Amino acid sequence: MTRKILHLDLDAFFCAVEELRNPDLRGKPFAVGGSPQGRGVVASCSYAARQYGIHSAMPMAQAIRLCPDLIVVSNRHGLYDDVSRRVMARLRQFTPLLEQLSIDEAFLDLSDLPEPPAELARRIQAAIRNEFSLPCSLGVATNKLVAKIANDVGKSRARGAEPPNAITVVPPGQEAAFLAPLPTRALWGVGPKTADRLAALGIHTIGDIAAYPEAELVRLFGKHGHDLARRARGIDDRPVVTEHETKSVSKEVTFPRDVADRRTLQRTLRRLSEGVGRNLRRKGLQGSTVKIKLRWPDFTTITRQTTLSSPTDQDNEIYEAANRLFSAAWKPGRPVRLLGVGVSGFGRGYRQLSFWDIEADRDRRLQETLDRLRSKYGVGAVTRGGRESGG
Amino acid sequence: MRVSVLQENLAKGLSIVGRAVATRSTLPVLSNILLETDNAQLKLAAMNMEIGINCWIGAMIDEEGQITVPARLLSDFVNSLPKERIDMELQIRTQTLHLRCAHYEANIHGIDASEFPIIPTHRRETGLPTIEVPPEKLRRMIEQVAFAAATDESRPTLTGVFTQFDGDRLTLVATDGYRLAVRSTVLEEAVPVALGVIIPARALAELSRIIGSLELGEEEGVEVTVTEARNQVMFHLPGVDLVSQLVEANFPDYKKIVPTSYNTRAVVDTEEFLRAMRVSYLFARDSANIVRVNIEPGDPGRILLTASSKEMGDNEAEIEATVEGEPLEASFNGKFMIDVLSVIDTPQVVFEAISPTRPGVFRPVGAGDEEYTHVIMPMSPK
Repeated sequence: MTRKILHLDLDAFFCAVEELRNPDLRGKPFAVGGSPQGRGVVASCSYAARQYGIHSAMPMAQAIRLCPDLIVVSNRHGLYDDVSRRVMARLRQFTPLLEQLSIDEAFLDLSDLPEPPAELARRIQAAIRNEFSLPCSLGVATNKLVAKIANDVGKSRARGAEPPNAITVVPPGQEAAFLAPLPTRALWGVGPKTADRLAALGIHTIGDIAAYPEAELVRLFGKHGHDLARRARGIDDRPVVTEHETKSVSKEVTFPRDVADRRTLQRTLRRLSEGVGRNLRRKGLQGSTVKIKLRWPDFTTITRQTTLSSPTDQDNEIYEAANRLFSAAWKPGRPVRLLGVGVSGFGRGYRQLSFWDIEADRDRRLQETLDRLRSKYGVGAVTRGGRESGG
Repeated sequence: MRVSVLQENLAKGLSIVGRAVATRSTLPVLSNILLETDNAQLKLAAMNMEIGINCWIGAMIDEEGQITVPARLLSDFVNSLPKERIDMELQIRTQTLHLRCAHYEANIHGIDASEFPIIPTHRRETGLPTIEVPPEKLRRMIEQVAFAAATDESRPTLTGVFTQFDGDRLTLVATDGYRLAVRSTVLEEAVPVALGVIIPARALAELSRIIGSLELGEEEGVEVTVTEARNQVMFHLPGVDLVSQLVEANFPDYKKIVPTSYNTRAVVDTEEFLRAMRVSYLFARDSANIVRVNIEPGDPGRILLTASSKEMGDNEAEIEATVEGEPLEASFNGKFMIDVLSVIDTPQVVFEAISPTRPGVFRPVGAGDEEYTHVIMPMSPK
């Protein structure tokens, strides 16, 4: 059966949300991200800003050099999360077969709906615009690979100061022809290295890959060669996966300036641990592996992990394990650029009971109360008393 | 210092003290092993923050002296040598130890022995009360208990083994909060004063390893002494002393944890139970170690073990059992079950349970005075 797979991307999502809060921003060059004084980068920039050559992930200081009038708006992650959740919930009303890729991107499997693909795309785009005042672009094809590339192509054709609001449909049977003129880099799984190796073989477009003998690709690239040959012909059977098994939950922070002070680092470690704990509890997960990540000023990055005797979703247990790892890995006075905490190793909804569960229950109840207060009054509303001592 | 030793003796001595060498210490001398002439013997010593070991080996001493040298290099070097005589000589000025054995020669740079901390040695004349325990029995007891201690440092008390001498009874207890092992035995003599201390499980595991490597005779005992300050315990064996810090805390009231009744009781062949559990664990280890245990009364009764992993598949094992009481369906950490079944040395084991959320109890059948009780909390669906 021919599938109808749609890829949806909210255009310049963070900026679009900011425009809703502050309509004065509309049409102006502005960027959401970190401050230029620190090490902020552009998380999202308005289409007017893109006219100056600004793009996301660019250091904010550089963006300001390109456009001295750039308005910098600081990140409001909680707000974007919230809007994203509501948009995704609305999209699920079209089909429960929704695979969320990131905060502003999703695949929808609409095979069961009778309307033609282009009409479906217009209907969805209109719903998001009318109900949320948010622009979005859509790509529709018979599979995820082509739908996503179609959307990327459609959006890149719009080069004005307005959001693209693009809809790009690749009809069944046209997949290979649609991909053929595109550069190899547009294909999923082709990074700079593979692209260079392909170019050395005289392969520059996806069509070149499709025309190349598959056996030869397999000889040169191994199993990956087989995937390349299939994808280049627009073949992709991957289903839309509604629920991704979460493998790990983590939080990290890059300091505006390198930090060498133990207290500050431990305070950050605690805050990250609490964030991870909160996410775990929201997802109903408990993990038994705690991991920390440290990046030094020279960008070398180390990770250290430890296994707990039983899975946890408790801030304190995560923090204590993270702090032990930290104390073993960090020499006093050594500056740290980035600090991260993560938990993985999730059991399947089972919990190892303890002899002293009555006591553990008390701590669990305290944690639940804290979570409720924080979700009502904000993360900073209540914190546990200082426990950074030791270590 | 000028000393000659046999390669085998030195290699063995180094392996005994080697495990006490600090691996990541801020004090460089603790990565070293102390070599010191002592009463016509060569003393080897190493220590970390938790334990210290002294070991004496036979030696021919031409000139007294002492030096510390990097443990890793010395051990690796000595282990590579042929089984012949090793002559060692210390260059005091450069603090370099010269070693010669067959066609091999080496100079190893050391650190002055005066920088090495003093590890207390056992001295009968201190007059501290000393308890003698048969080494092989102690080793078995440690093996049955120490693994149940917590490994995670967030609960320091539980990383230790509660060791209690009371009358003629010696009891070892360890728990990580999810399982509890209690092992006791009757000593030949009653101790003069009751004594209860928490010894780090790692130190006892070392002691057990040392006892295993010494091939002691029947009549030789392990002498146990607690220092006056009650912060260290010393174990004295022929040719070896082990000193350990004690965990200074109150051990939880473990007696409250051991259930006094049951609703389901099964007696099974220990080996068979262990084998079935190991097989189930192959499938359980990818999904939080969960093994489902179904106990069904009947004639004969049976225990059914099931485990499944989303990715790998599933497994079912059935063993015959004498079951009394009600049927039971509970989930346990398969690793905990394997741990306990591996150390029970009677042919049959009894398993008692109350409900799927209350602790289950293992006991060897017919162990007499060598009492062993192992309690495990189940896993429960959230």
